[in-house]
Amino acid sequence: MRRVLGSIGALSALVALAVVIGAAPVRAEDGVTDKEVVIGAGLDLTGAVANWGVNIKSGMEAVFNRVNEAGGVHGRKIKLISYDHVYQPPKAVINAKRLVERDRVFVMMGHLGTPTTKAIKDYLEEKKVPDIFPATAASIWTTSGKWHVGDLATYADQTWMIVDHLVKERKIRKIASFYQDDEYGLDGHLAGKARLKQYDLTYVAEVDYKRADIDFSSQAAKLKESGAEAVILQAVYREPPRLAEQCHAIGYYPLFIGPSPIVVDKTIELGGKHVDGMMGVEVYPLPTEPGPFLDQYRADMKKYFPNLALDTTNLYGYQKAALFVEALQRAGRDLTRESLLKSIESIKDWDPGWGLKYSYGGDNRRVMSRVGRLVVVKDGKWTKVSEWIELAEGGRK
Amino acid sequence: MVEILTSQVVSGLATGCVYALIALGFVLIFKATDVVNFAQGEFVMVSGFISYTLLIRVGLPYWVVLLLTIAVSGVMGVALERIVVRPIMDAPIFSIVIATIGASTVMRALAGIVFGYDVLPLPTIFSKDPVRLGVVTVTAMDLGVIGFSLVIMLALYLFFKLTKTGTAMRATAQSQTAARLMGVSVGRIFSLTWAISAAIGGVAGVLIAPIIYLDPNLGLIGVKAFAGAILGGFGSIPGAIVGGMLLGILENLSGYFFNAGIKQVSTYILLIAVLVVRPSGLFGAAPVRRV
Repeated sequence: MRRVLGSIGALSALVALAVVIGAAPVRAEDGVTDKEVVIGAGLDLTGAVANWGVNIKSGMEAVFNRVNEAGGVHGRKIKLISYDHVYQPPKAVINAKRLVERDRVFVMMGHLGTPTTKAIKDYLEEKKVPDIFPATAASIWTTSGKWHVGDLATYADQTWMIVDHLVKERKIRKIASFYQDDEYGLDGHLAGKARLKQYDLTYVAEVDYKRADIDFSSQAAKLKESGAEAVILQAVYREPPRLAEQCHAIGYYPLFIGPSPIVVDKTIELGGKHVDGMMGVEVYPLPTEPGPFLDQYRADMKKYFPNLALDTTNLYGYQKAALFVEALQRAGRDLTRESLLKSIESIKDWDPGWGLKYSYGGDNRRVMSRVGRLVVVKDGKWTKVSEWIELAEGGRK
Repeated sequence: MVEILTSQVVSGLATGCVYALIALGFVLIFKATDVVNFAQGEFVMVSGFISYTLLIRVGLPYWVVLLLTIAVSGVMGVALERIVVRPIMDAPIFSIVIATIGASTVMRALAGIVFGYDVLPLPTIFSKDPVRLGVVTVTAMDLGVIGFSLVIMLALYLFFKLTKTGTAMRATAQSQTAARLMGVSVGRIFSLTWAISAAIGGVAGVLIAPIIYLDPNLGLIGVKAFAGAILGGFGSIPGAIVGGMLLGILENLSGYFFNAGIKQVSTYILLIAVLVVRPSGLFGAAPVRRV
């Protein structure tokens, strides 16, 4: 009898506790206090795409430092915590758990890499942590529901543009694909295949490589044998110059063209004359162009990272952070994950001061900008060859 | 087809020669001191950065840089042996292996702190432009790497065969006790072995860094070279050379006939296949228990 009474007592205590918890006021969001908003990022700071990682981080911090010195956003300073995932998905998962569960970040912001961000996608959704402007333009982020928002034109959109340029303007019909064998490379690779199909064409060769591979002589040989006149590079900055070198070494000189990750000064530094004439898609202006936003970018980089050269990589991080700050402004003082996402979705025709506008694309198109243009390596510099066009199609169809 | 295959073999041989040089470093140290030095790949990486600094930052001529890099690498080898390995020479072999793995991690991290994790292009005197040799198209770079590696290997061979120190080193490898009784300073021979191994690693670094670019993770190439050394029969000098070369060629051909995934694992498939048939490797002696 006593035991029964005891159980009832314990049970009612539990019920009481549950009621108290349930009735407690909604607690503040993780990572948001009166004075601070803490955001997290997993970046590659020491691995195969470290050039991107280090520069994205610096670009984001340049914006946050300036904003924080001016008093922050709605009185809150922005604190970015980032960890190195070495471009390895398992490490990205560990870092994400550390950021969400120990550091209690408000959102994941500018998380680098398609395979690495894909690895933490389910986890972030489960924890309801928004994945804001990941540093990967894979189309998956634009169609994965409310927790993910991309910033710029996807690799699929960009490849669509590349194929159109090759087939319609250059009248090239023998096109090959050189792609990284993971979620990154496949995004553009498959989009290109779909677009070619609409012209009744297929790739004359599909040649893959693994992340962090360093030798592409067999890929070069296969491409040469296919007789491709143009090779689409679904790669980053390290592979295109090496592949070009190895193609040239066997007397094969196709047109190389690839999406935005190859449009980096590093590509030219590594490749020298071998990357002359290589083409790329640019989805935001070059660091050297005029405009108040780019003036501010140059001033901030000089002030906070004087040793870092101005490059598309740090500008990429910079524009993400600027867009994020705009969203924080709009979300107001009552900052929650939901309110931040709502404010991002409210952005329409916002121009930070470089002539290009950010607009939220819609629930099936969760991306802020869809413009692109072609650039080419000329005299050791990326140089624009076309005007901005809206990439209306694209995506995996 | 034949033409492309031949150039695949030549460029594979060039990479294979670099594997062979690194593998030689592994084997020399192992033969002389019974230690497997897992920091061998890091000698390659550090020497790449040394030559980058001397060439680009200091602006010295190429051949001076080459000699200086080899010398500095040699000193680095001696330092590693004296600081990390010698104090624990009596410890179980596992402790020493872990110590060299630890040393490699430290070297990689230090290189990252000093030079950053960015990829850098290391200039070379060999042109990467194609050269026609009969029906085959190769690059001066590939031929240069192959030629240079062969010269180093020949020089090493002559050193071991003809010089007194070389003979003392071979003696030490056979029996430390007997060598000591014959008046060989075994400690000095150990240091010299590490110096030579690191210096060969240095040459490998100067040769490979222009091909695959320079960054703190370059030392991971040591893993492949190690596989090459095992393939050839760990402890055999000709084995290390042939094993390294075979791996380079195999990698290229498997990438050509299959895809990047197969290319990545081809090294280990071959390694396992050879070890199943010949457990001691291609040139390895049947295992003898050392007493």
